[in-house]
Amino acid sequence: MENSFVALEGKSRGYYLAVAVLAVLTLAGCTCFGISYVAGHQVFGSSNVIPWGLPIVLAIYLIGLSAGSLILSSLTYVFGREEYKPIARVAVFLAIVLIFGAMISIAVDLGRPEKFWRLFMFFYLNNMTSMFAINGVLYGGYFVISIVYFAFIMASKKSVIKVMGIVAVCWAVLVHMGTGAIFGFVAAREAWVSPIKPFEFLAAALTSGIALLIVVSMLTLKLTGRDIKKEIVRSLGRMLVVFIVILFVLILMDKLTHLYVPHREATLFMLAGRFSWIFWVLQIGLVVVAPLAILVHPRLGKSMGAMFVASLLVVVGIFFERYYLVIPGAAYPQHYYPGNIEGVYGAVGYFPLGLPEIGLSIGIFALLGLVFIVGLRYLDALPPKPPKPIEEQKEAEEPVEPPAESASAEAE
Amino acid sequence: MSRWGMVIDLDKCTGCQACTIACKEENNVPHGSPQENIRRTEPYWNKVIAASSGEYPSVNIEMIPMPCMHCDNPPCVQVCPAKATYVREDGIVVQNFRRCIGCKYCIAACPYGVRNFNYKDQEEKEYHRPDPAPDRTDRGPWPFPHRTHGVVEKCTFCFHRIDDGLKKGLTIGVDVVPACVEACPTKARTFGDLDDPQSEVSHLLATRGSFRLRETMGTRPKVYYLPK
Repeated sequence: MENSFVALEGKSRGYYLAVAVLAVLTLAGCTCFGISYVAGHQVFGSSNVIPWGLPIVLAIYLIGLSAGSLILSSLTYVFGREEYKPIARVAVFLAIVLIFGAMISIAVDLGRPEKFWRLFMFFYLNNMTSMFAINGVLYGGYFVISIVYFAFIMASKKSVIKVMGIVAVCWAVLVHMGTGAIFGFVAAREAWVSPIKPFEFLAAALTSGIALLIVVSMLTLKLTGRDIKKEIVRSLGRMLVVFIVILFVLILMDKLTHLYVPHREATLFMLAGRFSWIFWVLQIGLVVVAPLAILVHPRLGKSMGAMFVASLLVVVGIFFERYYLVIPGAAYPQHYYPGNIEGVYGAVGYFPLGLPEIGLSIGIFALLGLVFIVGLRYLDALPPKPPKPIEEQKEAEEPVEPPAESASAEAE
Repeated sequence: MSRWGMVIDLDKCTGCQACTIACKEENNVPHGSPQENIRRTEPYWNKVIAASSGEYPSVNIEMIPMPCMHCDNPPCVQVCPAKATYVREDGIVVQNFRRCIGCKYCIAACPYGVRNFNYKDQEEKEYHRPDPAPDRTDRGPWPFPHRTHGVVEKCTFCFHRIDDGLKKGLTIGVDVVPACVEACPTKARTFGDLDDPQSEVSHLLATRGSFRLRETMGTRPKVYYLPK
């Protein structure tokens, strides 16, 4: 079956309102960035104990969602599942927008953002033993590959699309494992160092990606007045269960291995310390317990609404997994010397989450939403709509909104 | 080629923090408010930590002065994406501010916490005192007259002193030493060439038991400690 695609009309009041709101939020984010650039990173919460803050949380979160979106598209273009075709173009476009957002997040977290280009002087000015430099290659390549892939999809070059799809999905896997390696290969931070981290990140990316796929496809199909094929959503739900279980096993293994001697104290801090409620309630609770309970439940598991809620919980919960890794994960003090280190050098780091940082994060989400809905107006990415022009514009802004709203709400 | 190293005698160290202040003065390291100190956003190229063990009345408190360890196998150099931090031929790990992009990966990777991010621009008059800045013309070149926020900085073993001394043909470790060694009132610190069997550091390491911090990290530091 051949689907034709159309661009968003974008003439309604709601569309212009959405553009205006997102533009204002983006400007607010730019202002926050300007403040941090002029005043220095003292306006952020980061310190010499916790070097990274919300922008890095956002970066790894957006990369995960981006990889998930690409995998959605591969279902159609690589594995030939035509059912997903109506939202496949949106998914690839979303992946490009999200990786763009991730790179913006990394850029604004740099102390000297104007030297961002140095990350892309591959093999020439870069030290290629650094995971950051390797990830520069991976992210840059991913961005280019996704754009080429999208261009071929837009041009409907069937023979090339499948090859590009395979390349893009493999590259997405690499990108996410590389992101995990940024944390997993740092021997000095006891809560981070782990050979499992790349795989844990990959599992988290696939989990959040499948969950985002369910959220986006249900919203898109529903708001465009199409029938949701329950079998598709249920099969995706079963996939989600599998990925949640894999993720849970990896998290469990990570914590268990860390509980043995060398990293024991830091892991106890992570599991029972001051910030452990983020782990138990927001990470395990939202990502593992609640969605599994809903999806495995005999009656709820068949309800579309409950499945939607479960997927949304996963999308939100993965954000807190990232948050918990980046910020409280770095807070535990290092043991420079045996014994109990007194004073500030032995104290658990603290992270005052300030307005500039939150504004900056909201601004990044708003920028992504803006790029997304403006892009939909000029690209033929949407399946043709039968009747109502009003709903068309709604569906355009929905796919990117769930992560945006949830993340910004929690940041406050 | 010489391989500069430092030996710190913990038996002599009194924890007076003279090294910390001398370092700040020598290298123009910005000062911070007490709040910034508690938040750990104030840069210290040299810090003195206090490690306590035991319970009253059997308490032991040790003062550990911690400059940059100038590891032979530095994790910060491994992770720097921009080649901004590198090991010089003489083993000193230095930071190039012009190349540093401020990604803070090295802060995350350093097992000794010696790397500092510059969180704000230095104030013109830090002390708010009426007297003029000290005259430094007798001390040779001053490598860091001004610095910008947004880059990472660290201890350099006062390489400007070493380079200047070598040019003048002075003996490093005797005539020329880093500011912290010069300032130590109890002579707890010794600086010199680890590869030279005649140097005082080699003599100290050969005659007394020594250890390095966090040797299990595999970083092979060039700062040695003589235990109490």
